[in-house]
Amino acid sequence: MKVTIKHWHAVAQWRWDTGKSEPNSDDSEGDVCGICRVPFEGCCPTCKMPGDDCPLIWGECTHIFHMHCLLKWLGTAASKQQCPMDRRTWGMPTKFSLVAVPC
Amino acid sequence: MDARLRRVNKEIADCKNDRTSNIRIELVDNSPFHLKGSFPGPEETPYEGGNFDVDIVIPPSYPFQPVKMKFITKVYHPNVSSASGAICLDILKDAWSPVLTLKSTMISLQSLLCSPEPNDPQDAEVAKHYMTSKTSFEDTARYWTEIYAGGPGSRAAKVASPGARDEVAIAGLDPQHVTRFENLGFPRNKVIDALRRLNYRGGNVSKITEDRVVEELLKP
Repeated sequence: MKVTIKHWHAVAQWRWDTGKSEPNSDDSEGDVCGICRVPFEGCCPTCKMPGDDCPLIWGECTHIFHMHCLLKWLGTAASKQQCPMDRRTWGMPTKFSLVAVPC
Repeated sequence: MDARLRRVNKEIADCKNDRTSNIRIELVDNSPFHLKGSFPGPEETPYEGGNFDVDIVIPPSYPFQPVKMKFITKVYHPNVSSASGAICLDILKDAWSPVLTLKSTMISLQSLLCSPEPNDPQDAEVAKHYMTSKTSFEDTARYWTEIYAGGPGSRAAKVASPGARDEVAIAGLDPQHVTRFENLGFPRNKVIDALRRLNYRGGNVSKITEDRVVEELLKP
């Protein structure tokens, strides 16, 4: 039998590479930004398009947020420049490699 | 949709779906920014068996600003104002973090009931009572749970006849002490007020002279 493919549609999905192998397996809160509660793959409440325009940020403490959400928090006096999760002073890791990967 | 509205709606739904934490949150009016939360008093505390209602207001810049909470149900606790229900808890003030939620904050309130911090009081009189005699403090807290939070002991009967409430027990005083000063000719409610202000309880009783009490009673 000979099959001729006339046309095909490719479907791609992406997610942020947060270092976790399985996204959202049992912990339903695992993959949302702790500040706005929107999934990492969505965008922060001020953005309209997810993706590179609304990236994630990741601190020395390994906690991850939407960058815009975290910067908004650090911009308040109440934050004392601390990570919302562990109250350690927010710092950027020396090696910063957060990229969108196909999955 | 507004970010604050979206987050709050999510949080309300989370509480509804969670049957393990015993935290309930309901709307007060049509706004999702004014809520009423409630939780059962923690076990093995004087608050056990009671149901505690909390008034919740979501501020405009939530979650970057702490949620406002105060007790609706009267609570006898060093870190809760016995008059207004105002709460002294760090996460409701300068230790707030935007990753805290309505549920986690309510759970913190519940655990505050388990572990009073009399050194950082909201209600100084209650804190003094706690430090003078923990047993007597717990008796009073238990009585408050019974009459205000529907704790063990029949709530219906107490509410039906508020006159039956024991004002001496509410103030955490010894009925014998109250009677003694009442017999000097002072009105009962004045005696209760004065003895409560003086923290006339436990080991303090021997330190406060009768003259000191009379002096307090004679204050205009």
